[in-house]
Amino acid sequence: MITLKYFLGTAFKSIWLEKWINLLTILSISIGLSILCLFLLITFNVESFMKQWTSSFGLVVYLDDHITYEETLHLEAQFKQDKDVLSVSYTSNVEALDEIKASLGANAVIMDDFKENPLPSIFELELASELLDKNEARQKADSIKQLPGVNDVQYGEKWLASLNTISDTMRLVAVFFASAIFISTIFTTYNTIKIFFYRRKEELKTLKLLGATNSFARLPFLIEGLFVGVVGGSVSSALVFAFSSLATTRIVEFMPSLSVVLSPLPVQVYLIIPAVGASMSLLGSLFAVGKIRY
Amino acid sequence: MIKLSNVEKSYDDAVVLKNCSMAMERGEFAFITGPSGAGKSTLLKLLYCSEQVDNGHISVDEWILSKLKKRTVPYFRRNIGVVFQDFKLLFNKTVFENVALSLRIHRMDPREIMERVKLILKEVKLLHKSDVFPQYLSGGEQQRVVIARAMVSQPMLLLADEPTGNLDTDNARTIMRLFREINTKGTTVLIATHNEDLYYGSGRRVFFLNNNHIEKEIVG
Ligand SMILES: Nc1ncnc2c1ncn2[C@@H]1O[C@H](COP(=O)(O)OP(=O)(O)OP(=O)(O)O)[C@@H](O)[C@H]1O
Ligand SMILES: [Mg+2]
Repeated sequence: MITLKYFLGTAFKSIWLEKWINLLTILSISIGLSILCLFLLITFNVESFMKQWTSSFGLVVYLDDHITYEETLHLEAQFKQDKDVLSVSYTSNVEALDEIKASLGANAVIMDDFKENPLPSIFELELASELLDKNEARQKADSIKQLPGVNDVQYGEKWLASLNTISDTMRLVAVFFASAIFISTIFTTYNTIKIFFYRRKEELKTLKLLGATNSFARLPFLIEGLFVGVVGGSVSSALVFAFSSLATTRIVEFMPSLSVVLSPLPVQVYLIIPAVGASMSLLGSLFAVGKIRY
Repeated sequence: MIKLSNVEKSYDDAVVLKNCSMAMERGEFAFITGPSGAGKSTLLKLLYCSEQVDNGHISVDEWILSKLKKRTVPYFRRNIGVVFQDFKLLFNKTVFENVALSLRIHRMDPREIMERVKLILKEVKLLHKSDVFPQYLSGGEQQRVVIARAMVSQPMLLLADEPTGNLDTDNARTIMRLFREINTKGTTVLIATHNEDLYYGSGRRVFFLNNNHIEKEIVG
């Protein structure tokens, strides 16, 4: 407690004395973390957008034209038993035709040209989101296609495949990005603290001649590194928060329909960013002071 | 208190000490003298572990310096006050902070540090310069700060390398009186100097360092 005041005093005096280098370090840490966070914000939004989309992931089963009533009932019963199927809705070809006629209004007469109803009856199935993986979705579709009375099955096959690829790629890029930014943060603080360390080498030698332990001599540097990291992280927290709120309001102004989809980062993230900054730069300072012999 | 036997020390290929032996009792007050470059500073450096012996035995109190582990060196040094020939003041700290530093390293209570530092600064006649940075002090004033820093922790051994090199006769006398005072309180004192006036007529032991070893020993 007594000496803590001395360590803090020493650290903050040096922070003030070297304010320009420290400012630059803080700036580069916060820029790095901000870029990372913006990327995470985008990834997060894309993922939540996809989740929203996929909650209504559906599959359309087109029935044979000459399917009997019994066969239809049998199919429906089968779908309802399937635990992968969340809901089943049936639209007969007659209903479908009526719907089209209704939507055509006065022009409905053109539909009278057809001697037979051109539309198939359909089942719309809502599938559990576990089936979102493109291979499983295809397997399911194929197995339904084998059932008697089924003519064709459609689902967003291509769309689903690219959706999966996008989300996988984004995750991979996020991991790569995060590692790169972490390493650069560590390296930035490492360099700064090493410069301070070398500049104060004589001072440290003297401290040691007076009987200071290594940790006594090094602690102020670690505090300095920690401070730089916390401030850098906090600055980037503020930047990302400002950007995220601004972006959300602006985008919603232009496209109100997106408001359900756009989601801000969870609040914890704004606490995690300074913590990440602090631990990365503490690590950097540890490397810096650990390496130097005097 | 101090014991050197057959100490050898060279820098690269230049031999500084060879077959160098000497001993001092606890509570003694002694001088070491000799021509420039004879190795006085080197001998003191061996005593505060700034340099390592190549061969031979060297010990201070219970500490066998030739076998001391690196990790224990700081704890050993806290028992010793050193007046460095090149001062080694911290130029980014005030006079007060420079002197307080050796007590902070001892993790002493700040209020006691305040009292002790004020007292010692008064004794070296620098209390009015407490908040001044060392670069604004004269050579003699800087030297007195170093002396204050070496004495403030009341070490068991005080090593002073040319402590009056920058002082006029008046200040030199004051400093010598302070050394005698701390010596009567139990601190062993060893002073390296060229200045015959310091030991002449003192009645203390004087070691002559020449040709790599203690050539003779007289009473001043
Ligand atoms: N770090 C070092 N590296 C190489 N040689 C050194 C080193 N320190 C001292 N020497 C050499 O060792 C010899 C003894 O030096 P030392 O400083 O001990 O002498 P001294 O008796 O204290 O001299 P002075 O009275 O001038 O202070 C000198 O020749 C010096 O050049
Ligand atoms: Mg010397």
